[in-house]
Amino acid sequence: MKKSSKVFLSILLILSIVLTAGCSSKTSAGSASALENIKKAGVLKVGVKSDVPKFSMVDTATNEYSGFEDDLAYEIAAVIFDCTSTEAKEKKMVEFQGVTAKTRGPLLENGEIDLVIATFTITEERKESYNFSTPYFTDAIGLLVKKNNNYTSITDLNGEAIGVAQSSTTKDSIDAYIAENNMEITVTYSEYTSYPEIKAALDSGRVKAFSVDGAILAGYIDDTTQLLPEKFSPQDYGIASNLNNTDLAELVNTSIINLRESGKLNEMLTSWGLESYK
Amino acid sequence: MKNLFTLKRWAALWAARADFASGLWTTLRVSFLGLCFALFLGIVFGLLSTSKNKTARGLARTYVEFFQNTPLYIQTFFFYNGLPYFGVILSPFIIGILAIGLYHGAYIAEVIRTGILGIPNGQKEAARSQGFTYLQSMYYVILPQTLKIILPPLANQALNLVKNTSVLAMIAGGDLMYHSDSWATLYDYHAQGYIAAGLLYFILCFPLAKLAAYMEKRAKIIPGSIQVQNAEAAEV
Repeated sequence: MKKSSKVFLSILLILSIVLTAGCSSKTSAGSASALENIKKAGVLKVGVKSDVPKFSMVDTATNEYSGFEDDLAYEIAAVIFDCTSTEAKEKKMVEFQGVTAKTRGPLLENGEIDLVIATFTITEERKESYNFSTPYFTDAIGLLVKKNNNYTSITDLNGEAIGVAQSSTTKDSIDAYIAENNMEITVTYSEYTSYPEIKAALDSGRVKAFSVDGAILAGYIDDTTQLLPEKFSPQDYGIASNLNNTDLAELVNTSIINLRESGKLNEMLTSWGLESYK
Repeated sequence: MKNLFTLKRWAALWAARADFASGLWTTLRVSFLGLCFALFLGIVFGLLSTSKNKTARGLARTYVEFFQNTPLYIQTFFFYNGLPYFGVILSPFIIGILAIGLYHGAYIAEVIRTGILGIPNGQKEAARSQGFTYLQSMYYVILPQTLKIILPPLANQALNLVKNTSVLAMIAGGDLMYHSDSWATLYDYHAQGYIAAGLLYFILCFPLAKLAAYMEKRAKIIPGSIQVQNAEAAEV
């Protein structure tokens, strides 16, 4: 190889190492003054769902997010930046990023987003990886089936496949419900990466039921589908933040408590037509 | 990444090894059967694409262009969620073999076509003049000679095929990728899950690559000749 090519390639190699190393240290979360960083940046980065009606939906034409959880993000931003939530919305102080059940954890861990407000159920195992606020909504798991199967209860699903989302708590919840009620039925699970995929599988008959939190399920009901009467395993949704950002977690927690006590949380829920399970 | 060395997560990975093993086994079976199917289709359509018959060539061309120019994922998704509307319900395992076979069959058909076209016409004429039929001349004279040329790209296709079986993860097919995804996202132990998956795919692919290299070397040996080790000696 010519000497000049060797020099060029080594420079390229060194450059790529330096740039990627620089990248990771810039986005690594875990500095004690996470709150300070957010205030300095002037924008709060929040991971939200983009396909859950009433909670958080994205308008693909304008890339605008709207929903109860998006409004919650503006309320939190209002507390951080000391303004009103309407101001936070106008001045675009919240940067939304669409997440799925699979991506919300990693994005939070590597610091690309500051908070996750994405129908994130609080569980003991998850608390080891993230800080959760006090619950802002409680939902129950539901089962969506095709009308023409004429199912009347979960026992009709004996021996069938149920579609669930990867990285969700649904599978365990259904198993627990079946065990608690001593039902003599066996079901199998098929995991998919997104809710529309599960709906497609339900439509084509690949799975006989689509199961997830009722709030998310509501967005997929249409003329051909109906919900089974069973509702179980109350799921508490909380706002998640990186384990190291304790000051941010505290602020978020206090904000939710304040919103609940002042009645604003209920107001927001009613305005979106939502009702907490408990 | 800071949880890369957390012992608890690696212990959990070990506890879940049965799932990964079952995924690996499924991937192995789909890869093998898919490769057989792809080779079969590749040979059939490779031969069709070099035939004198215009319809045969047209058929081969359509097949190759369609399956090469559409994503494997879309083809798989159609077989999984589209076929049921036509009353055809196949298990994810069969769909895996079908989709992988059809997709890679197209690429293998092209490889075989170039191999056949690379053999001098004189070979085919000589074989026919000796009384071999078209198929016999292909089997005894032409295709064995193409082996040396097509073995590297064929090995390439085989390796891609093994990795492409991960498409089964999208249709809840229970392969290695599906189980890795499922486990990794259960408690967000991504590093452990995906490193394990990568390692297992490597263990699957590396022997295949070595086997292909070995077969390539053997294919280069002409029966009865003396193998010289270096260029200088050849000048003798």
